[in-house]
Amino acid sequence: MSARETVLGAVRAALGRPRPDPAAVAAEARALLADPDAIRPSLPLPDPAAAFAARVVSPKVGATLDRIGDLQELPGAVRRYLAGHELPHALTLQPDPALWRLDWTGFELREAARPDEAAALGRARWGIAETGSLVFHSGPETAVLNHFLALHHLVALRVADILPHLEDYAAVAGPAPRNLNLITGASGTTDIEGSYVRGAHGPAFLHVVLVGAPLP
Amino acid sequence: MAAVFQQGVARALSDPTLKLAIDRTTVTAERKRAAALADYPQFAAARERGTAIKDHVVANLDHYLDEFERNATASGAVVHWAADADEACRIVLGICRGAGARRVTRAKSMLGEEIGLPHALEEAGIERVETDLAEHIVQLAGETPSHIVWPALHKTREQVSALFKAAHRVPHEADTVEAMVESARRELRDRFLSAEVGISGANFLIADSGAVCTVTNEGNAELTTTPPRVHVVTAGIEKLVPSLAHAFAMLRLLVRSATGADLTQYTTFHCGPKRPGDRDGPEEFHIVLVDNGRSRMLRDAGLREMLRCIRCGACMNHCVVYRQIGGHAYGGTYPGPMGAVLTPALEGVDKARDLPHACTLNGRCQEVCPVGIPLPTLLRGWRDRSWKEGLVPRGVRSGLGLWRFAAERPWLYRLGTAAAVRAMRLFRRGGWIGRMPFAGAWTRYRDLPAPAGRTFMEQLRDRERGR
Repeated sequence: MSARETVLGAVRAALGRPRPDPAAVAAEARALLADPDAIRPSLPLPDPAAAFAARVVSPKVGATLDRIGDLQELPGAVRRYLAGHELPHALTLQPDPALWRLDWTGFELREAARPDEAAALGRARWGIAETGSLVFHSGPETAVLNHFLALHHLVALRVADILPHLEDYAAVAGPAPRNLNLITGASGTTDIEGSYVRGAHGPAFLHVVLVGAPLP
Repeated sequence: MAAVFQQGVARALSDPTLKLAIDRTTVTAERKRAAALADYPQFAAARERGTAIKDHVVANLDHYLDEFERNATASGAVVHWAADADEACRIVLGICRGAGARRVTRAKSMLGEEIGLPHALEEAGIERVETDLAEHIVQLAGETPSHIVWPALHKTREQVSALFKAAHRVPHEADTVEAMVESARRELRDRFLSAEVGISGANFLIADSGAVCTVTNEGNAELTTTPPRVHVVTAGIEKLVPSLAHAFAMLRLLVRSATGADLTQYTTFHCGPKRPGDRDGPEEFHIVLVDNGRSRMLRDAGLREMLRCIRCGACMNHCVVYRQIGGHAYGGTYPGPMGAVLTPALEGVDKARDLPHACTLNGRCQEVCPVGIPLPTLLRGWRDRSWKEGLVPRGVRSGLGLWRFAAERPWLYRLGTAAAVRAMRLFRRGGWIGRMPFAGAWTRYRDLPAPAGRTFMEQLRDRERGR
């Protein structure tokens, strides 16, 4: 008997009932998602974008925030950030055409992060106001390692792509990407005596640039 | 085993730094969890829902295993099944050998510890690089984890500093925690990028997509699972949830209960191997579904509820016993209240009989459990079984027999207790008893409160007489 049959057989024997009706199981699972407001925190501000902006700079996420009206202004915002941290104008740019077609004159750009990369810029597909999370789907335009190797992680996000809650993302996510990365802050650890230190393995700094109409 | 546990406890209690180290982390964890729940008035309802989600999965486990396997396979993953720990290790080693692995990186997984994977890799001559900072510390010290969320919680910063200075190629100079973390970052960076196989666990298995969820705050899971050519997941079969939305409901409970944050910094869902056009990711993606005693727990009405456990560690952070003796004294992979329930199930109650007895039944663990596991009830169940199976030592059995003899004869019981409280008062010093015949096992480490001058029944009688 294969291990699969052994394990599944033992599970079925333990449950001691005929195989369940898939439709009934699915209906029961759906019912467990009813009334999501009863089980999730309410947003502190009614507007999801305002709630997101407040959340990412709060100690819970600990990111820094900049705002621009249009994606064209992104290189300027990045320049400001790098200058503020006395970093050279060099960065890994997510292989996203929307980013590569911007005017990066004066920057040294790379598609893939080096092991000791100082800064990487990406574009999040969505933001989640409830947690202050940035959502990435891996693929031809998004390398996973770019989110993790650099010391400074810079992320552009359109205001229009901010969703209120985690369930709202689940509803629009579509088929699962190979990697779905929810990034909610810089890398941190409390493994030595419970004291919080940033930059454990991943980025020590997270900087979010919100793109779009000014927040209400 | 009894002797082993007692020795472990004695070692823990006489360790000059252990209690300090345990307190430094658990006190912070307790405070942060309380603050997170104060900001989350929906917690009680969320906990009920989370409990119902896990119960639903457990009641339909065969259905969800089937569905998960089908979807994971469709995503390009290879799904393996292991009935026990040895089989699981054999499968993982087979994959490593097939990949020609000399070096593997590993992101913390308690299931991996449970099946003895670290040891199996070493036996096979494969270099194992633990990437979770705490696991890295534990590996350098040649120890095992003492907590399921903070495996190196038993180490003081001074001890960590000494380990890093001895082992790291470019160790820290300043003795700050920041400098030590920086040293580990430097040390592990090229290891991450040069491993042939990356091994992780799973916090959740998503049935309707075949994805595997890992949560970390360090980002070490993604650095472990992305660069190597092969990614292997080892997961217990109880880790299933129906969908992404169900996983989110569980994550809200898990993270707040574990660290007091609302969500981990890095929450990743891995679904299959690298796809056409992908910039990075593993070419092979293996998932090993491990039973190792879980189907046995499913069959057992007294243990089935334990399959709800999401491994947050809140029960141990709030346990008065764990906070005195730490994790190693428990002897198994899982310490604290959840470990005291799981270890007898995994290793046999004859080997782990002491664990369910090392509990005050104060109920804190059940109170803080995010999926409402009645841990004290399950622990009492183990006590009951060890009694019925005749595993209780003769001294305890005859003591209890004596107590029962008296308890069934109220006049004798009242006489005995009236004599005992008066005798005990002879040994008191300012409200406490520091030493007394037959109480050495207790008073060796702490004082016993001196009893009131008269028994409860005597006081009640007086009250009823209107005195």
